[in-house]
Amino acid sequence: MFELDQRIAEQLSTISLNSSVQVRCGNSNAFMVTASTMLPLMQMFEMGGVYITASRGAVEIIQAFESIGVDVSNIQFIDLVSSGILGGTDVEYSNIHFVDSPIMLESVLLRTLYILRTTSSARNFVFIDSVNALAIYNEDRMLAEYLHTFINTFRQREVLSIILNVPDQTPPLVLSNLDLYCTDLVDRGQVVIH
Amino acid sequence: MQAASTYSRDRCVTGIHGLDEILRGGIPYGSTVLASGTCGSGKTTLAMEFLVRGALAGEACAHFTATEPSVKLLENIRQYAFFDMNMVDTGLINVFDMDVLYSWLGLDKSTFDLDDVHALIKSITDIVNTIGVTRLVIDSVTTLCYKIKSEQLIRDFLFTLGKKLATLGCTTILISEITSATENAHWSSFGVEEAIADGIVVMGDVERMGHLLRFLQVVKMRGTSHSRAKHAIELTPLGVMLTPMLKWGSQTDSANWGA
Repeated sequence: MFELDQRIAEQLSTISLNSSVQVRCGNSNAFMVTASTMLPLMQMFEMGGVYITASRGAVEIIQAFESIGVDVSNIQFIDLVSSGILGGTDVEYSNIHFVDSPIMLESVLLRTLYILRTTSSARNFVFIDSVNALAIYNEDRMLAEYLHTFINTFRQREVLSIILNVPDQTPPLVLSNLDLYCTDLVDRGQVVIH
Repeated sequence: MQAASTYSRDRCVTGIHGLDEILRGGIPYGSTVLASGTCGSGKTTLAMEFLVRGALAGEACAHFTATEPSVKLLENIRQYAFFDMNMVDTGLINVFDMDVLYSWLGLDKSTFDLDDVHALIKSITDIVNTIGVTRLVIDSVTTLCYKIKSEQLIRDFLFTLGKKLATLGCTTILISEITSATENAHWSSFGVEEAIADGIVVMGDVERMGHLLRFLQVVKMRGTSHSRAKHAIELTPLGVMLTPMLKWGSQTDSANWGA
């Protein structure tokens, strides 16, 4: 049986909507940490939101949630991966939006703002999965600048931002900036000894 | 000691998400703004949204189309949720085919002389005056000016048209087609339009690792302070949306990023 980390829900219950939370995970616990963060937001706090995926195609993530019995049909997904695969955008889910590439960072921000303008939820979150995946495509300074803009944009709009991150795969400049901008830290990163 | 002037001109609020912030409240009333852009940069969509937002506020609007038939223009714009065909049906947005206008005026010829240009100006201003148009779009002034062979005549045409429209209280967007929107490019096809216009908005693409990202930049707007930064734009069903372009992402040469 799939076990959630209940301490994440407890920690999330103490934060406000204009917070920005850095969620650190490791390679092997990424989905458990993701699910342990998303479920309380959707079910306990009844929030709507936008899930931005740069790590895997949105269909794979939706199906991973479905496999543990979680319905994510009221969450909008922005998929930055599947447009890079021929036929990858031919999907049956209407809650998936595609952006051509993880390099189109401004488009991701504008698409997120557009979705939030059309949503009926009073309280929303934006979830980035993940900073280390974005770092594959984007130069460190640009990514650090983007996260700064992103976090402040949603903080100003009282939209909770959750930034998933595998620290040992994230450039030091980006990581130190995240530490600076984010108001809260959920640390489930695993120590890696090289 | 004299107090600093607090005078500010009345604005034509475009209603376009982000653009009014860039313009510190909107386009000064009666201005003629050149919207110069490369193909596919969103000029027509931006201009049409400008008219729709005006129509929603009860303003009479007109769109003169020279680049495509009005039927095709309206068919393309119907995909946007902000557009409502009722605005055309009820006469809030009036779309005119330039070819039809030329026929009315007996201007079915390849080149316009001074008299033809004056007849065209009179025709456009008469329409604006009769309908009480306060927002006007000419799409595109480039196509229109191809028929005017002399630079001086193009200058006279645009200057006189702009002046007459301003006295009628009409805020105008002249769409201009350019082949490049880089730093060294001209902001207009003939090089004279930019000198006549009160404002210049440049639209184009930034190439980032093989992907084209649309941008908009206000390079000039008389009568208001404004941002001169590049802004990324998206054409969403709700209309044009803008956000400041990433400073580290504006460089087209990715080889310089690590420098």
